[in-house]
Amino acid sequence: MTENATPPPAAGPRPLLSVRHVSKTYGAVRALDDASVELGSGEILGLCGHNGAGKSTLVKILTGQVRPDAGEIFMQGESVEFRNPLEAQAKGLAIVDQELALAPDLSVEENLFLGNFDLSLLRRPRAARRRARDLLARIGLSVDPRRPLADLSIGERQLIEIARLVGRDARVLILDEPTATLSENEIARVFAVVRELVREGRATIFVSHRLDEVLDLCDRVTVLRDGRIVASRSTADIAHRQELIKMMIGKELPPPQRSEAASVAAGAGAAITDLTVPPAVASFSQDVKGGQIVGLTGQVGSGTSQVLRALAGLEPDARGEFTLDGKTVRLGSPATALRAGVAFASNDRKGEGLFLEQTVEDNLVATRLTSLSRAGFIRGRALRETARRLIDFVKVDRERIGDTVEHFSGGNQQKIFLGRCLDRRDVKLLLLDEPTRGVDVAGRAEIHQLIRQAALAGVAVLFASTELDEILDLSDQVVTMFGGEIVASLARAETNAELISADMTMSHERKEATR
Amino acid sequence: MSARIPDILRFRGPALRPFLTLAVFAIAFALLPQYASGEVGTANIANVFTSFAGIGLVALALGLTMIIGEYDLSVSSTYLLGGMLAVKTGGDSPALGAAIAIAAGLVVGFIQGFVVAKLKMSSIPVTLGGFIALLGLVYVLSNSKSINYSDLKVTLKLNEPVLTVFTERSLIAIGIFLVLAAVFAFTWLGRDARAVGSDRKAARTSGVRIDRIVIGTFMSSAAISCFSGALLAYSLAYATPNRTVAPLVFATTAALLGGVSLSGGRGNPLGIGCGVLCLAILNEALAVTGSAAYVTYLVTGGLLLIVTVVDAPHLLRWWRTTKAAENLRLAFAGRPATGARAGGSA
Amino acid sequence: MSTDLATAPTGPGPVRGNPRVTRETAIRAAFYGAIALFAALVVYGAVSTHGFLTMTNVRAILSSVAFVGMVAVGTALIMISGNLFSLAVGSTAAAAAMIFLALLPHGIVLAFAVALLMGVVVGAVQGFLVGGIGANTIIVTIGAASLIQGVALWASAGATILPPKGDTSFAWLNGHIFTFAVPIYILFGTVFVLDQFLRRSRFGRQLKLVGENVEAARAAGIRTGWVVVGAFCIASFLFAFAGVELGAFNESGSLLIEGTQTYDAIAAAVVGGIAISGGRGSVWQGLGGAILIAMISDILLLRGYSEGIQILVKGVVVFAVVVLARLNRMRAES
Repeated sequence: MTENATPPPAAGPRPLLSVRHVSKTYGAVRALDDASVELGSGEILGLCGHNGAGKSTLVKILTGQVRPDAGEIFMQGESVEFRNPLEAQAKGLAIVDQELALAPDLSVEENLFLGNFDLSLLRRPRAARRRARDLLARIGLSVDPRRPLADLSIGERQLIEIARLVGRDARVLILDEPTATLSENEIARVFAVVRELVREGRATIFVSHRLDEVLDLCDRVTVLRDGRIVASRSTADIAHRQELIKMMIGKELPPPQRSEAASVAAGAGAAITDLTVPPAVASFSQDVKGGQIVGLTGQVGSGTSQVLRALAGLEPDARGEFTLDGKTVRLGSPATALRAGVAFASNDRKGEGLFLEQTVEDNLVATRLTSLSRAGFIRGRALRETARRLIDFVKVDRERIGDTVEHFSGGNQQKIFLGRCLDRRDVKLLLLDEPTRGVDVAGRAEIHQLIRQAALAGVAVLFASTELDEILDLSDQVVTMFGGEIVASLARAETNAELISADMTMSHERKEATR
Repeated sequence: MSARIPDILRFRGPALRPFLTLAVFAIAFALLPQYASGEVGTANIANVFTSFAGIGLVALALGLTMIIGEYDLSVSSTYLLGGMLAVKTGGDSPALGAAIAIAAGLVVGFIQGFVVAKLKMSSIPVTLGGFIALLGLVYVLSNSKSINYSDLKVTLKLNEPVLTVFTERSLIAIGIFLVLAAVFAFTWLGRDARAVGSDRKAARTSGVRIDRIVIGTFMSSAAISCFSGALLAYSLAYATPNRTVAPLVFATTAALLGGVSLSGGRGNPLGIGCGVLCLAILNEALAVTGSAAYVTYLVTGGLLLIVTVVDAPHLLRWWRTTKAAENLRLAFAGRPATGARAGGSA
Repeated sequence: MSTDLATAPTGPGPVRGNPRVTRETAIRAAFYGAIALFAALVVYGAVSTHGFLTMTNVRAILSSVAFVGMVAVGTALIMISGNLFSLAVGSTAAAAAMIFLALLPHGIVLAFAVALLMGVVVGAVQGFLVGGIGANTIIVTIGAASLIQGVALWASAGATILPPKGDTSFAWLNGHIFTFAVPIYILFGTVFVLDQFLRRSRFGRQLKLVGENVEAARAAGIRTGWVVVGAFCIASFLFAFAGVELGAFNESGSLLIEGTQTYDAIAAAVVGGIAISGGRGSVWQGLGGAILIAMISDILLLRGYSEGIQILVKGVVVFAVVVLARLNRMRAES
């Protein structure tokens, strides 16, 4: 199954794109290890692998966002090197990802030609309109080019971005998780456009977790695991996505680490009924008992994050019933949620988590200033003691308690961040979104241990993760979501990697069957 | 809840909105004699255009920086600086004075724009420094006194009525508005400016040359502001140092009324022109009804706060999620507001 | 469970040895070093200026610090809360002076109380607009300034307000203790109390957290709106207090007494090294900045430079400091 040393023969005599022995290392982590990929014109290549397998590193290298440590890239036989995304675009390598490079306040037409240098300074409205209509026709979209982009659906915007890249004569289109936020109809439309475009001699790399879609769309699929390319096969040879899942997982995962006894429910915990966060989550219901760890998993756009954020009071549009130990918690206010006993750690550690320019101490006690003060004044000694206890608890050097957080490593930052939610009596529900994002293996194990400790102390834990290992490792109950809805909610003993993979990578049959 | 705030008040929709706002102001003004003492005639319309010429260009200058998502505090100083330079250097040739004023604006705009673009700084602290420093410069140039302009012929000529309701100076101001409107309509520059204000990262990824747009916008903004000061000084026959933020209040209100958003990406020169006309009409209405000076302060300040509140990013979040807002709803509606929550982005 | 294992470096950067000497602290030290150098320059200029080192002059400087310091400290609070600065400083102060002088016939206590209450109320409204619904500080404060001026003009009918003839109830505000003016003692007392309050209170901690990252503070369950309202209330209270002192000092109150206070206050906070992006700084820095600014003004005055040059220099200094701070930040991030 491992054939990473020699890339398979390309479709044509001279491949459109050829990646040879590319590697990239971040710190101690080898994100991409000697990867080689070839792509012929007219070909659609699927790129699969679980999170951290190296897909996004490869994509970033191809689009000029990251420079490789070693290896070479050839476009139509010519060796190329990109210092930034614009250079990659100039060579005909363009990417469409979830974060669309479109300005919502501009019209469709203005967006179609945004950043084009070949246009003369003067607008020629008639010529531009004609060209816009022509591009829109090629992607089968019949909207008025004068309409503001903000009026269009996400799927339509994605098509606009594709049209723009086609207009700039992109030879290789990289679609990075393009379908995660799209509806069925929109997906079908995007696929039709992609097929049409490759027929003109372009090529496409389709990066996705949705394996059915990969098998449906692609001619060939390359699977990455732990930074290495483990397989590259024609989709015609793959009968079922189950085979792909096996390649992605590779090894058998370790058995659940928590004994059944530990997961016996201790308290009433949280009850969530019909939680809806338009448009991301529809009608989510789940109980989390005290002492129980429930893992939420699903791919980008599945709505797991929004569930946690809604419970933490950070989604103004959230509706639904949420009770904690029998008491209703009003949604929409983080302060109310915290007082009710909900602690939340966002997946955006820098933007919505740590105060990077403040000290470790300040960060550790940020959520408990109320309980550490009397009549509005801080109880200084209690605060210092709490901070010391917490820094020991999360195992960060206590000598550094007065340092600012910004220059700690990712792993230590994450521990400090989680520290403020942990080890406190008034927390009844712990909400963790990607608790080990950007953390190395050792730090990960430590964080997992901290989460288990919290559960052992009787706290209900609800966490979201896109990493299978983590879900299987920590959860007592695994909830899989897709497109804002729960696909399955199974006890850890009843599920396994393949089942979860199948659920989160979308399988129409399964979803239908559970209805 | 979004249903409760009429769309027209959100200043978010198509470019038509400033024109509708202007129409409302104009009709209300025309109907003024119906419900208040005072008469409305062509002289009033002439006055409206005069006050349009007086400060409209400052609103245009500020509005341009707001379109790219910045805010140039220093326009209220460059405005004074332009007037002072013109009066001091334009004695023999008004064109020379105006040219020097514009050149000064270009230099000031380049320095501020360069710092904002290259150091990726927020424009407010940068232009704050510029604002204070240039104010000082104006005081130095004028020795803290008003300075008279010697060439009265120029003054008379600028104030000469044209076609009853216009004057030469109001035509010049309108001309500049039209030129910029044409730049926005017929070149890609206006689009690029709005792209930079709408989503700078997306614009950069798309290949828009952000730095050029930012520096260019600051340069044109300061140049327009300086020229506007020169025009005013010529037509009043004097320039005066004055450290109030009144021009800033007026310009911001006009820009916001004219469809520009503080978050950037929206608006165009014609819209800003409409916003300026709205305020000019308002001023004239206050004058016609014989209102005291304080009313002007109250009305402009109040109007500015209202448009700011409507434009505020977290207004909906606050309204939907806080207890205080809930109590407010209860107090006004007398019933719990449930079910009316509409989806959509906050 | 040993700390050794826990602190094993997972990324670059010194961990053992003397962890406090990180690049970051070095860079920050460089920034404060630059400000210290600047202060040294000012001191040199002062010492070399004829007439600077006289008791009369020192007293004059301190008198002006008494007013500028008060508004600088208020501005510092707003800046720490992450909301830049207020452009309503001068108007609030002027209005407070007018209220104080107008109400003196009803007793100094009432006059004081109403003037300060006005400050707190206008501060609360601005704080709500900024912190509660996210409106832009600059625009809210210029709008507020305009409204305050309008109300003041209306209430005073445009006249300058003078204290009742022969009223000496406020003379103590202009008095001297140990050769220095009373407002100086009030200022230092206020700064001391406020600093202790910010250090010891929950509000003080939350203020910095909100100032650095308001979204993170919200997610951490802090009522960010109330914190900003609090900052504006205290700041506006201090603006009003400075106004009352100024009114008592001038024995007259009109909108004109605001002078260059707004700019001085901002310049002082910026020169004091308070991060304009929020989250860092103390009220002592606001005071330090005010002293520096007052010294600069004084040196320029003694050397015969005009008011214009004084304002110009302040503006250039503000520009230089914000650019320097940004350059430092960029080097720290790279």
